[in-house]
Amino acid sequence: MQAQAVAEPIRYPPGDLAIWVFILAELAAFGAFFGAYAFTRMQHVELFNHFQATLDRDAALINTFALITSSYFVVRAVASIRDNNSQGCVRWLMAALVMGALFLIVKAQEYAHHIDEGIRLSTNTFYMFYLSLTFFHFMHVIMGMVILAAVAVKAKRGGYSATEHTGVETGASYWHMVDLVWLILFPLVYVMK
Amino acid sequence: MKKRTILGVRACTWVWLIMMGLTLVTYLIGQLGLGGISASLTVLAFALIKGQMLGDYFMGLKRISGFWRWPVVIWLFLPGGLISVAFTLVG
Repeated sequence: MQAQAVAEPIRYPPGDLAIWVFILAELAAFGAFFGAYAFTRMQHVELFNHFQATLDRDAALINTFALITSSYFVVRAVASIRDNNSQGCVRWLMAALVMGALFLIVKAQEYAHHIDEGIRLSTNTFYMFYLSLTFFHFMHVIMGMVILAAVAVKAKRGGYSATEHTGVETGASYWHMVDLVWLILFPLVYVMK
Repeated sequence: MKKRTILGVRACTWVWLIMMGLTLVTYLIGQLGLGGISASLTVLAFALIKGQMLGDYFMGLKRISGFWRWPVVIWLFLPGGLISVAFTLVG
């Protein structure tokens, strides 16, 4: 009898299902924020276009590169642990964390610049959206880095294997969500006018 | 475990390179000062393509069947649609 490999359909996403419920809630919150930004802009087009031009688009480019690259590194970390390569997994996670740290440093410098210029949430409607949206995301980057660091520590201790690595996939899924949100935030806030 | 490669390069590496390229084009559109419906919707389309690629290949949702295949796709469609409508109405 000839053996046939039948691909079983996969019904659930990688990682713990609970993180996916959390991810959907986070995406819903950011989605509402994006919609509010776009429709509020309709009432203040000139103001939004004027103050968008004051933002540092070079910094935003660096940060977008950093997050996309960090997501790629996390994909490689998951691939490593699926190959039972714990050391490789740790190295890729550390590389992703470096990219996350780069994002935080660049973004913090942007905030410092705004604070020096006396810009606050109350400065105008554009800055209210810009500061609250990006800071909300900034906090998610920190949360994602904490999760990735915890996963890296456990991986270093040999806590994951090719057959049991749900924790790595759970952390990876959260981090990809953080990247996904920024992929929309970057063009919406920094480029579209 | 056999890795999926194209021209000897991992599929995920191609996805990363394409996403970086689309990001650079988005940045250049901003630097050139291009605005209006066409430029804005083009940039938004690039973002949605990147989001779909991230969901499919990085999050691994491409191989999922059933309910969990769709939330990220729908999420991209809803804010993307709202943003498109808002920018189109402004002209």
